[in-house]
Amino acid sequence: MHKIESKNINFYYGETQALHDVSLSMKENTVTALIGPSGCGKSTYLRLLNRMNDLIDNTKLTGTILIEGEDIYAKNTNVDDLRKNVGMVFQKPNPFPKSIYENVAYGLKVNGITDKKIIEERVITSIEQVALWGEVKDKLKKSAFELSGGQQQRLCIARALAIQPSILLMDEPTSALDPISTSKIEELIYELKNKYTIVIVTHNMQQAGRVSDTTAFFYMGELIEYDKTKTIFTKPSQKQTEDYITGRFG
Amino acid sequence: MGSHIETELGKLKGIIIKIGNLAESQVTEAVKALLSEPVAEGKEVKKIENRIDKLDVKIDEICQSVFALHQPVASDLRFIMSAMQISNEIERIGDLAISIIKKSKNIKDKHDLIVKFSITDIARQVETITIKTNECFLTRNESTIGEIFILNNTIKNESDEAIHNIINEMKSNSKTVVSGTNLVIVLKHLERISEHCTNIAEYVYFMINAKIIKHEKFGDKKFDTDNLD
Repeated sequence: MHKIESKNINFYYGETQALHDVSLSMKENTVTALIGPSGCGKSTYLRLLNRMNDLIDNTKLTGTILIEGEDIYAKNTNVDDLRKNVGMVFQKPNPFPKSIYENVAYGLKVNGITDKKIIEERVITSIEQVALWGEVKDKLKKSAFELSGGQQQRLCIARALAIQPSILLMDEPTSALDPISTSKIEELIYELKNKYTIVIVTHNMQQAGRVSDTTAFFYMGELIEYDKTKTIFTKPSQKQTEDYITGRFG
Repeated sequence: MGSHIETELGKLKGIIIKIGNLAESQVTEAVKALLSEPVAEGKEVKKIENRIDKLDVKIDEICQSVFALHQPVASDLRFIMSAMQISNEIERIGDLAISIIKKSKNIKDKHDLIVKFSITDIARQVETITIKTNECFLTRNESTIGEIFILNNTIKNESDEAIHNIINEMKSNSKTVVSGTNLVIVLKHLERISEHCTNIAEYVYFMINAKIIKHEKFGDKKFDTDNLD
């Protein structure tokens, strides 16, 4: 069974169709990169996986998305539970105006965890998981805004991990970061793959090549090609994919 | 308007065609020298050798900068990888041609030996395979690649037979040992040129099909040669 399975997805913003009959399945503990030019539908697809598009008015979805075999758009789906299981990291680091510690603990508290010992354990583990502990252990009570952009992004990943999801969605997580911070996030993705299923939207072809096991190329709302990353970057089967990855598009 | 990488790749293709033509002319001179036909002056041959060496270095430099600055993928990546290998093979073809020219001068009674051991055919076939190799890079024609594989096999077989006969001649007539040995070396060089041409054809095949066929034996190559003339 696939961890994520989407079948015949069509998605509309009002009258505009953003996704056309997209079927895409991802295995557990893999990294899938979604690539394609701006406006191709990759972020729209990503946001469907934890129902973030529900927050936008006048949208319509047809098709099925199964996570661990469960239809996440079924009427009885608890969206809060879904988002606990499917964490998300955004393009720009978005820490809360709170301390480093509170940023990570916040998700646990709003999810009803009150045991301070459990919270502390989870905060430490999550910060350690993102390889940030050594850098922040002596300033946990300081504002998260005092951290560098790269550190803030890793903190946001730690915040997402603290509530123990099994899937992590990343929407261009390094596009606002310098090369060193980018490299740390990429190493982190490689480490996290052992425990999580990761879907990452990226405009950086080399990043897709470095971090992902499979790559999906979207164009104008259609899934043009989905294959092992090695195949996509060495011998894509579709001319549109070849043109896009070699920079001869349009 | 082409992209920056397209300009670089175009430049690279132009240089490979140029170096290929130079090597082809060296092979032609080598065959002439072997068959006692009038050859270009030694100076000219040396000049071409230097040009080949310089272009070989130039190709390496372009490939290095394309890797570093453009991170090529897919067909671009295959082209760059092949270009580096092809340039290396061509440079060796040039060196072997020079060596044949030098060795040919030291073969006494060359004409008689060449006729006796049917070496003219082998030499002409080596010229042909060199021309076809340049053609296959230029046109990326798969049927030409197949022809190269077949021709290489023929050259190898005929050369083996000629070497066997020359060795027998040397055993029976010790006066032919020096010339015979030089002739064997020349035949081995011709074989090597043919092998390098085949390697180039294999890289062209890789460029087209993203499939590595080097080190596969002639009969095992997953390549349809049955329908070729």
